[in-house]
Amino acid sequence: MSKFKSNDKKAAPAINTSSLPDIVFMLLFFFMVATTTKDIDPMVKIDNARGEGVVDLTPFKQRSEVDFVYLGAPIKGDASKFDKGIAVQFDGILPENGINYIIQWKDMKYANKPSGYTIAKEEVVTCFKADEEVPVGILFDARKLLQDNDYNSIAYGAQEKGTGREYRIDNN
Amino acid sequence: MAKREAPEINAGSMADIAFLLLIFFLVTTTMDKDTAFLRKIPKKVEIPENIIIEVEKKNVYKITINNKQAMQVRDSILPVTEIENLHKRIKHFYQVNKGLRFGSFNTEYPYYSYATRESIDAGIAEAETALSAKEALPDTDPNKEVQVEYANNLLDEWFKKDAVYRVFAKAEVNKNKRNIEMPEIDIKAHVKIEPFIGTDYSAYVAIQSEIQKALMQMRDAESMELFGMTYSSMLKYYQQNALEQTPIVKQYKERLDLLETLYPERIIEVNPKK
Repeated sequence: MSKFKSNDKKAAPAINTSSLPDIVFMLLFFFMVATTTKDIDPMVKIDNARGEGVVDLTPFKQRSEVDFVYLGAPIKGDASKFDKGIAVQFDGILPENGINYIIQWKDMKYANKPSGYTIAKEEVVTCFKADEEVPVGILFDARKLLQDNDYNSIAYGAQEKGTGREYRIDNN
Repeated sequence: MAKREAPEINAGSMADIAFLLLIFFLVTTTMDKDTAFLRKIPKKVEIPENIIIEVEKKNVYKITINNKQAMQVRDSILPVTEIENLHKRIKHFYQVNKGLRFGSFNTEYPYYSYATRESIDAGIAEAETALSAKEALPDTDPNKEVQVEYANNLLDEWFKKDAVYRVFAKAEVNKNKRNIEMPEIDIKAHVKIEPFIGTDYSAYVAIQSEIQKALMQMRDAESMELFGMTYSSMLKYYQQNALEQTPIVKQYKERLDLLETLYPERIIEVNPKK
């Protein structure tokens, strides 16, 4: 009777969802590309030092030519247990004798390299990733040990310093 | 009245938006890579403690940094705020005498010598004679082995120099020249870092970084002049493809060797003081 029809019966049109897979794939690919797999969980706190002209170690990692040593204050537990409050992390462990464990660890790593691995002992890089406030004395202790055992390649870990950003040196 | 139906939304441009977002994130995402300064530790050698090897002062660029990160560079104090200028000073140290001849050298800085085709040929000939002389020693001589090895190493050095000289002479700018002279910095010239035990890692790395920057800038400039491309781009390519035996990898390796001979990375890291 009424001149006006009620709109109740008319359903809203379905939204076209055919592009939803595109969005999902896009997100998937994005995360696949942007994610770096973490080799090990950090057990020490590291604020990276800054430097210019750093070398990217990715190709060395792919050829397993580099071993990482992490130095910094321990995240968990009592820092005073370690010499000068600096813990040294080798893969997943924080040994009590700190840096002196390095040779035992390097020997073990070198012995366990895959077969067909031809690189010489002195070419395998030992990369120190140290917190910016770690005193260098400890690195030179390691350096001496490495030299005595013919591991002659080392690397000082640092992040690329962006344009205009200063070196982070605390001189107080 | 006619029944009005809502028109279907055109979703054709959805893909465009998706790709736009994808590309935006791809471009703006930075990933933390493991980066570092590669250095070598000198081989262990047995030197009797009473031997002191004297190096002339002009060949040493000494950087001392103490527990409070105060720096002394050669004879002057470098405030920490001016560490960004250290690379300029190092470049000066390397280059001030380049191209100069004996007599006009600045006596505070390392001297240069100039290798020519003749000097290298003469050097190889001399080293070969020396080697055959050592090999002719009677087997009973207890020092024979050591002396032969030493002579062999010397000859190898000359062959290396010959190889880099060939690359240098082949470069575009030198093609039409005669008597090409390859500049060589004094073999004893080096940068020496003396930290203290309590020096912060960040400050130590900053010094390493400035040295690296100086070397890179000098090599890049030289490389542009000789080959029309930078040292760093060749190095990056080489490091990623080091295991392949393609002609381009070999060529880059030769060029890298040359540039590393012209501006050698000689850094002595002294054991820290207390």
